[in-house]
Amino acid sequence: MTASAGRPDQGSRGTALYVYGIVRAGDDLGGLETATEGVGAGAPIELMSDGELAAIVGEVPLADFGQEVVMERIRDPAWLEEKVRAHEAVLEAVLPRAPLVPFRFGTVFTDEEQVRRMLREHDQLRTTLDELEGTFELGVKGFLEPDWVAVTPAPGEDEPASAGTSYLRRKQRDLRVAEARVESKLSLGAESHDVLAAAARDAVANPLQRPEATGRSGDMFLNGAYLVDAARESEFHKAFADLERRYAELATFELTGPWPPYNFVEAEGGL
Amino acid sequence: MSVEGSTIGHEVALVELVDRVLNKGVVLSGDITLSVADVDLVYVGLRVLLASASTLDRLDGE
Repeated sequence: MTASAGRPDQGSRGTALYVYGIVRAGDDLGGLETATEGVGAGAPIELMSDGELAAIVGEVPLADFGQEVVMERIRDPAWLEEKVRAHEAVLEAVLPRAPLVPFRFGTVFTDEEQVRRMLREHDQLRTTLDELEGTFELGVKGFLEPDWVAVTPAPGEDEPASAGTSYLRRKQRDLRVAEARVESKLSLGAESHDVLAAAARDAVANPLQRPEATGRSGDMFLNGAYLVDAARESEFHKAFADLERRYAELATFELTGPWPPYNFVEAEGGL
Repeated sequence: MSVEGSTIGHEVALVELVDRVLNKGVVLSGDITLSVADVDLVYVGLRVLLASASTLDRLDGE
């Protein structure tokens, strides 16, 4: 007896429809079908439209994306990395072709009728797509240099002293260094976000991540996402380069993208 | 680390990717959709894994 015996056929051998995101019906995505593979093993990427919207869709095997199976699959980091990259690859193939609303990983429908119904229920996304036209997202993270110290010796601090006094002075100095770092982080974060936001159409300052999550020794002071007009791209890059130059001694900036506008769509379906 | 996974740039890109694909974007209920709670849980786990991987990379490089 095989593992799948006794289960309905659909449980392991059927297929479902994975939705990557939404574009406007009628936008020319020429060549998308052959541009990338998607999360389903070799299934072509297609568009399913209803009204003014079209879903970017690919067939996926229920053996991977069935309700119960997929909960197990996503706990396998290698599987998840492969699929997350494939999800992104499809959206990045669309990005230069037409404005798109990216979906979070793992939105799956049983059949075409369900996809079309979803499109009908979210026809307000048409406005979002018009607003996103000609833009893309860039990410900027800022890290304080781990060894940077903004503190100059207090008056008399460098004079010879007894062991006890030296100890106290050292403690006080450590405290001032820590305070100065926190202050620098706050002001640097706010200033650099403002500078970058001024060169973008929209901006989001995401929560800072702790060193355990970034794997970097320098404290993060900026975790920003910027919706940049393609026409003003050089302006944004100039703002970024100016920041890098101005704070070369105390900070490192990291620029990524262009990304689909993940940070500029409403999480809950734009409702 | 595997050969193609050994550069810091690769890890940075993956962290950025995971931060977006698993943590941002429109959440709709497909009829087989992963629950947001499940994705969040996996996201957090994966972030820890990625962070420790890039810490190892950094230490390797020092």
